[in-house]
Amino acid sequence: MKVFNLGELQWKQTQLIYHTLANMNIECLLLHSTKQKYVCVGLHQDPRTEIDINYCKKNNIGIFRRETGGGIVLLDKNQLFFNIILKKSNPIVPRFPQNFFKKFLQPVIKTCNEFEIKTEFHPICDLVVNGKKISGNGGGELGECNVLVGNILLDFNYRQMTKVINSPKKLKESYYNLMKQNITTVKEELGYIPSKEKMYKVLTTKYLELLGPLEIGEVNEEINNQIDKLDKKYFSDEWMYQRGVKKNGYEIKIREGVFLFYKIIKTLNGNVEIICQTEENIIKETIFSGSILSLKDNVGKIRKKLIGMEYKKVDLDLLIYDLIKKYGGVTVA
Amino acid sequence: MLEVKGMKFPLDRKYYTKDGAHIWLKSEDDIVKVGMDAFAVEMAGLLTYLTVTGKQTEGGEAVGSFESAKFVSRFYSPISGQIVDINEEVIKNPRKINDDPYNSWIFAIKPNPVEYNKKYILDKEEDIKKWISEELKRVEEDE
Repeated sequence: MKVFNLGELQWKQTQLIYHTLANMNIECLLLHSTKQKYVCVGLHQDPRTEIDINYCKKNNIGIFRRETGGGIVLLDKNQLFFNIILKKSNPIVPRFPQNFFKKFLQPVIKTCNEFEIKTEFHPICDLVVNGKKISGNGGGELGECNVLVGNILLDFNYRQMTKVINSPKKLKESYYNLMKQNITTVKEELGYIPSKEKMYKVLTTKYLELLGPLEIGEVNEEINNQIDKLDKKYFSDEWMYQRGVKKNGYEIKIREGVFLFYKIIKTLNGNVEIICQTEENIIKETIFSGSILSLKDNVGKIRKKLIGMEYKKVDLDLLIYDLIKKYGGVTVA
Repeated sequence: MLEVKGMKFPLDRKYYTKDGAHIWLKSEDDIVKVGMDAFAVEMAGLLTYLTVTGKQTEGGEAVGSFESAKFVSRFYSPISGQIVDINEEVIKNPRKINDDPYNSWIFAIKPNPVEYNKKYILDKEEDIKKWISEELKRVEEDE
């Protein structure tokens, strides 16, 4: 098995490299970071619905749609990227995603702990420090391989994250506050940022303990040719805007269990806007606004129904629609 | 109906098992409906996305993807043929598969006349039971 320690790369390369190596079925640990900032959405997301594309264009922020899972992320030079690429047939690869994440994130936990950042695994694939996310991860099948795609936040531009996301304006402040409450960084934990080289050295050592000896990998001509091929694919409009998944309501994930859900219901008395906020997947807060004159007296009844409910176990979109129809005192359009 | 550790496997259909796939297939007239079995659903957890992109497919070929637990897995066609229908209800709301996997078919395929590679397709109760038991053992080993 190989280790590619590639240092800082052009932003596109940070995505193309792991897609390429996985498609070539090259088992490896891959360590790198980006020189420029960019936003990246998951395979099943549509950049047009997730990203403020105009803002990104104006600010020279690149856009990428990856082949792995998870949601929108803002990536920049203040993050360490790590990828694990292993053939599905490799006996050390757990069959099921939850176990795959748990096993191959252990070295990242140990690395953070070595820097005296007390980090824990938070299912399904977050790493947290006192409940705040410091490492976001996702994965997927690529070629014959399972791929883990992760980062460690050295520092984070929370304000810019609210700008790149294509969310309703009124959600952005809540989003910012929730991120501040639920995300942390190496800088916030230590008061300084250790050098990337030092962190990668520790990370490599910890992965060695799990994976066994690692041979130094080089990006050769064959790999570069494949990168060129995938560059054409992944930067075509056909790929980027392929999904077009329709959303029921608008959801932003801050970390596992913490979501903001936003929904506008059209009524003959005007629009009713609802924001639900969750903690550990339980609806903890609801905010109603818009034309709710008729709704006002009945908001309490709707809140009572929603608060305490397990998010994701219900079709919140339909539930809100039904509750407003039933208790809202308005005629749903 | 076969039940193993609380997971149900109706015996009115076949099960495709290649490379860890857990896909049921059920013939209806001249088409075959395809979906995920209870084991797949149990292991995947809550499904957040599901897509079917293929049209003409060879058996064992990836024809779509699904996402759960921030992990994208491929969905394979158990047989060769032409995908003639996609269940838009479950594409729009994959949670229907979590709730009721055997009534939530994902796509319908018109099989090629010369079919099937039966090596990976099970339909006998004892074979299905053995397969699921082995799969459960692997889960234990994973953990």
